[in-house]
Parts: sequence; C-alpha cells; structure tokens
Amino acid sequence: MNDRPLQEPTFLLLTALAEGPQHGYGIMTDVARMSEGRVKLRAGTLYAALDRVVAEGLVEADREEVVDGRLRRYYRLTPLGGDRLTAEVERLRLNAAVAAKRLKLRHRAMRGLA
Amino acid sequence: MTTAGGLEGSYRRLLRWYPSSYRTRHEEEILGVLMDAAQPGQRRPGARESVDLLWSALKIRIRMTLRGADSQAWQAALTLVGVLLPLLMVLLKLTEFLDRGAQYGFGTPADLLIGAYGEPGSYARSFQLNPHSVALTGNVGDALTAGPLPALILAVLVCLGWRRAATVFAAFVPLAFLGIALTNGYALLAGPRKDVTLYAYGLEALILLAAPGTARGWRALRWQPSALLATATVAGGVAMNGGLWPLFNVPLAPPASALARIRLREQLASLPHGFVDQLFGIGAGGWGAWLLYQGTLVAIIVAALVIMLVSSPVNRRALFLLGIPFALGAGIYLCSLISPPPPASAGNALAALPLLLIFLAAIAVSLGHRAGPDVPGRPATPGSA
Repeated sequence: MNDRPLQEPTFLLLTALAEGPQHGYGIMTDVARMSEGRVKLRAGTLYAALDRVVAEGLVEADREEVVDGRLRRYYRLTPLGGDRLTAEVERLRLNAAVAAKRLKLRHRAMRGLA
Repeated sequence: MTTAGGLEGSYRRLLRWYPSSYRTRHEEEILGVLMDAAQPGQRRPGARESVDLLWSALKIRIRMTLRGADSQAWQAALTLVGVLLPLLMVLLKLTEFLDRGAQYGFGTPADLLIGAYGEPGSYARSFQLNPHSVALTGNVGDALTAGPLPALILAVLVCLGWRRAATVFAAFVPLAFLGIALTNGYALLAGPRKDVTLYAYGLEALILLAAPGTARGWRALRWQPSALLATATVAGGVAMNGGLWPLFNVPLAPPASALARIRLREQLASLPHGFVDQLFGIGAGGWGAWLLYQGTLVAIIVAALVIMLVSSPVNRRALFLLGIPFALGAGIYLCSLISPPPPASAGNALAALPLLLIFLAAIAVSLGHRAGPDVPGRPATPGSA
C-alpha cells in the first residue's frame, strides 16, 4: 500500500466517504463543512480527485440515481481506501500526540524559567 | 434561452475540454454537480470555476495519456532503460577513452575530465590559445558533454536508486550546457556528438520521472538476461576497442589482404558518413579505418543489441526508447545539411528544440503524477475533520 502522507483534500474526501456512500455534490458540501469552509473542492478539482482515488483503488462507484432529470453517481470507500484512511488517521494521531507532549514540556520549562 | 439553460450550455462548452471517453462517463454527473453548486440566478460560469474546470481537464488528459503508456510493458521498458541508459553512457565513454587513448596517449586527468581522449595536453593548450574565461567555459561545456564524469555520477545515482537526485542531475547537465553554449555563442547544430549526449540526459530525466520502478536502482534490472547480455556485449566491445582488437587483427593480417584492406578502406571512405563521423569524433581521413575496425565492432554490438532487445515486447519498447537520442541527433544533423546553412541562432534553437520537448514532456509527466486533489499542496492536518 502507498504509505505517502495524504494531502488534506484527499484526506477529507476519503473522510467524507467513511460514513457511507455519497454523490459528488454531497462530497463537496461535506468537505467544506468538515474543514469549516477552509477547503472548498470545486467540481473540476473534485472529479480529478475522484478519478485519481478510483484509479488507486481507494474509492469505487456505488450506484447511480436520477434526481430531477440529472444523473447522480454515488461513491463509496473500498476496503483498501478504509485501510489507507485508518493508517493516515493513526499517523496524524501519533504526530499530534508527540507534538502535544513536546509542547507540554515546553510550557513546563517556560513556567520554570518564569 | 432560460438562465439555467444558458449556464448549462456554458458548462457543457467547458466540459468539451475533457477527453471524450471521460466525458461519456462523467459529463452528465459533473454537470449535475455544477448546476447544484450554482448560485441562484447565475448566468455564466465564474472565472475561478472555469479555470478549475480547464485545469482539471488538462490533468485528466495528461493522466489518461500516461495511463495509456502505463501499461505493464511500457513501465517495465521505462524502468529497464532508466537504469540501463546511464550504464551504457558510461560504457560508451569508456570505449572512446580506451580506443583513442590506446592509440594516441591518455593525457592528463584534466584532459580526461574534458573528454579529450587521445589528445594529450588539450586542456593546457586551450588556456594557451584562448583567453582564460573562454577556455574555462569551453572546458566546462566539454566536461558536461564529452567528459565521463557526469555519466559516471548519473550511473552511480541511478544504480543506488536515488531517483530524485538522479532526475535533478540528469536535467541539470543539458540545461547547464545549454546555458553555457547559448551565452557564449557556441554552434549546437552539426554537433551530433554533443546533441545526442544532451538528448540522452534529457530522456533519462524524463524516464526517471515516468518510471517509479527506477527507484529500485540496479535491482530494477532483476538480472534480466537481455539487460545483462546487452551490457556484456557493450563491455565486450569496450575490451575489444581498448586493445584486444589489434591482437585479433594486425598480427594475423597477411600483406596481400592488407593491400586489399587499403583499397576497401578507400572505397568505404567515399560513402556518406557525416553523422557517424561526428557522432564518434572521427578525424579527417579516419572514416575508412574507423568503419573497417571500430565501425565493424559497433555494427556487431548494435546488431547484437537489436537481436536481444527485440526478443520480447518489453525489450522492443526498450530498444525504441534507447534509439530516441540517436534518432533526434540524426534528425538535427540532417537539418544542419540544409543549404545555405541556417543562421547560428536558428541552428541553436533547432538543436535545443528536442530538449525543450523532452522537458515539456517531463513537466507533463510530473503534473500527471501530482494531479488530483493534492494540487492545493497542503498535507492533511490533525483535527481538520
């Protein structure tokens, strides 16, 4: 499995699909909501991203629906995508834990100096 | 036409920039998302939205092109050539060094560094004949193209599997040479020896980018019989050229056949030979002898390589890739024969064009690998979800 750190938009895209299948517009709004508006995936970027994660086997098409005469294709996380996201979460968690521990030591040292 | 109809039409026009096979599957889907995300009363796509669609269309196009070339056979061939090409470059430099050094003397380390094989004292003479700065830039240029050191460094980096460093170095050599040549007014056209070397470095940079398998270094060869045989054949050629050949040739040649050989040499000398002449740095009048001795050997090596490399789809592709620098060099050489010759600046632009195209392809490959949601370039941060 590719163990390179995921870029934030990819991470958010996979996270958006972690709970269940979603269609393109659903992913777009979910990513904006999760990142509190910091990451806004436009349609072009979103589909280039989906093309890539589908090619890497992390995401696959789930089903298609026609709503108001328009096609909606739902995407879901594959088992490989789930593993990749889990590994990334663990990597981030470990990094965050190390950083928090170091910061705590730093604060303690600064308090000692004061 | 309604506002929504006008907007939809504009989006469809933008979506035409996507590859048709991609559009067949995704056009209606993307259009649905675009229309869902549109502001109420929006009449036309926003500037950012348009740029995003066009940029993504370009990325998808590049990626689909790469996927076409991503088939296993091409990937295997790229990996094979990525590791083999620098090794062959080193071996060919060694051939030249041993061949010409054995005949005319090996010279000083500085002579060797600038690739003045068989021309002892060239480095020192260049400073006597030219102003210091001219001699220095000329020698640096020669060291980059004719000298063995860059090829050796590249081969070591590639064999160690230091793909990124090797890519940067392979791109640096031709760019540095071009910088020196163009600022000092050197003529690049009709210099196939240098041009082929420059194209080989450019191609190597492109291959290293396109073939992640080259990160395995020498292990990527997987001891493939074809790769080993190719290398062994060239190594054999090196040994023969470097001194063994006369053992087979001179002592066994009776006087009668020596006369016949001189006649044959004269006949051969009348054949058109400009490109090969310049490619191998053959001096005036040396063509007949070269063709009879080293040329025969080169022909045997080339024939052996061709036979070995056409033995499988991967090797056929590898042979095609290995031929690219030579084909480009030959094409540029043919351009140099145009009469009247083009002005120096046009000639240089023409010689630099293949390199520019190779680098554009390298940028496209790089974009294709990076394309996707990662473009904004931010690594995932804790607590963002």
